[in-house]
Amino acid sequence: MFDLELNITSWSDYLRSSGKLDESDVIELENHLREQIDELTENGLSEDEAFLISVKRLGNVNLISEEYSKVNTDTLWKQLLIDPVDPDAKKKSRRDILLVVLFSLLAGTVAKIPTFFGLNMDSVVYFRNLSFYILPFIALFFIIKHHVSKKLIGYITTIFVLTGVIINLYPSYDPNHTAMLTGIHLPIMLWLVTGVAYLGDKWRTKKGRMNFIRFTGESVIYGSLIMLGLMVLMMFIFAIFESIAIDAEGFFENYFIYYAGTAAAIITVYLVETKKSIVENFAPILAKIFSPLFLIVMLTFLMAIIFTGNSPFVERDFLIGFDLMLVLVLGMVLYTISARNIYDKINIFDYLNTALIVVAIVVDGVALSGILFRLSEYGISPNKLAALGENVLLLVNLAALLWLYIRYFLKKIEFEKIEIWQTDYLTVYAIWMAIVVFVFPVVFRFN
Amino acid sequence: MDISKDLIAASATPLILAILKKQDSYGYEIIKKIKKASNDEIVWTEGMLYPVLHRLEKNNFIKSYWGKSETGRRCKFYYLKEEGLLELENYKKQWEVVHSTLSAEIYDDDE
Repeated sequence: MFDLELNITSWSDYLRSSGKLDESDVIELENHLREQIDELTENGLSEDEAFLISVKRLGNVNLISEEYSKVNTDTLWKQLLIDPVDPDAKKKSRRDILLVVLFSLLAGTVAKIPTFFGLNMDSVVYFRNLSFYILPFIALFFIIKHHVSKKLIGYITTIFVLTGVIINLYPSYDPNHTAMLTGIHLPIMLWLVTGVAYLGDKWRTKKGRMNFIRFTGESVIYGSLIMLGLMVLMMFIFAIFESIAIDAEGFFENYFIYYAGTAAAIITVYLVETKKSIVENFAPILAKIFSPLFLIVMLTFLMAIIFTGNSPFVERDFLIGFDLMLVLVLGMVLYTISARNIYDKINIFDYLNTALIVVAIVVDGVALSGILFRLSEYGISPNKLAALGENVLLLVNLAALLWLYIRYFLKKIEFEKIEIWQTDYLTVYAIWMAIVVFVFPVVFRFN
Repeated sequence: MDISKDLIAASATPLILAILKKQDSYGYEIIKKIKKASNDEIVWTEGMLYPVLHRLEKNNFIKSYWGKSETGRRCKFYYLKEEGLLELENYKKQWEVVHSTLSAEIYDDDE
């Protein structure tokens, strides 16, 4: 079936990707295309015929953007945080910016409040509640911005409130392993719940979930950039105040960390959300640059393990580091998949992705054997069990991806199948995270 | 009859200005009007209209605002400014010179 909307979007995305047109130019051209298609279909042409003719009449997209570049000399980056041209959008964007400022201040204050009761940043209780300083505000931002049904809002609020009550009712005894696990797993679980707020009623659909995966990837990239900027700012403040003999450390410890941290998260989400087209231009490029690099690093690492006979998986801290790396690799593979156009032919990046998955599976296999060894040697502990669960989940995910990818290469299945499987699997992650957060503390007696 | 690309490019600006002189209009409509007025002889690569419009706007001959098309779609309308009107008159004179030179009798081989 010919999907007109999809085709129009991919046409205008192509225009955007040239980087020579600003958003209002794209809207203008897209509406021209739509007018033409409307007229042609009214005259009895089918949608695909009308689309082809209209695109042909508008002419070679590359030549058009070339012409534009002679007129628009402003750079792409200027579009960030500059008011859009049309008045309707202007009003909306004012409201959004106001929300962002308000929510950042609120979130910063909420993150600060526990310190008045003597709960420091490095205390377990503070760490366990980390998700609640930021995620409710992000979820609320989505609920306001997107059309989310009342029923769904009810569910999301209930989950947040119940989770907050339950994990804080759970006691925590030394050495606080289960509470730490909660601190690590809860953000991931609640981020997936926030995803429901992001998608609204589309949260069950494949397309929606794929969008959310893409959104997550772009947030990570944008967030890292903003964090880097903040770090530079911080060093700068230190340096200049030191020169006039004022120690800025108190300010950082008491205010900057809380407010800048939460604000960075909320601003990231806002930027990725509203300036989507701009991130879309460079995020896939970053993924393409780094996937071969990751492949080389992991291959070299595996070889080094084989030749030296040293296993990094006997130490617990390394295990966690490795899980993070696997998650990153998986995320990159997913991101490349999600940013992929279903109609693209198989290209070199598909092969790279496959190679990356294979290496990740081998590394995960080594990691799993390391965990099993530790389990048999030292007995069960919450950390090891959580790590075991995660590695099994990742292994299943990677193996299934590999299997589907190969089937796709052999032209046995459509690319869509991969997306469907992957988006369905998100639920499994959410469930496991919930198990670690809610069941582990009880089973291990809150130790 | 195919009108050469060079001629189409050279005539684009005065034609756009002439249409906007009559009334405010948006891209898609401008193209339709030109097609109609030229009995389908002048056909543009439609996308190329917009860079021309933007250049005219940058040169201060026309200005734009957001409005609604006949079909209710949001689109950018353009209108002629005083400077544009002067430019149009200027163009017309130039074309008249070319036209009258072309139709002068000096080319008649029979005489």
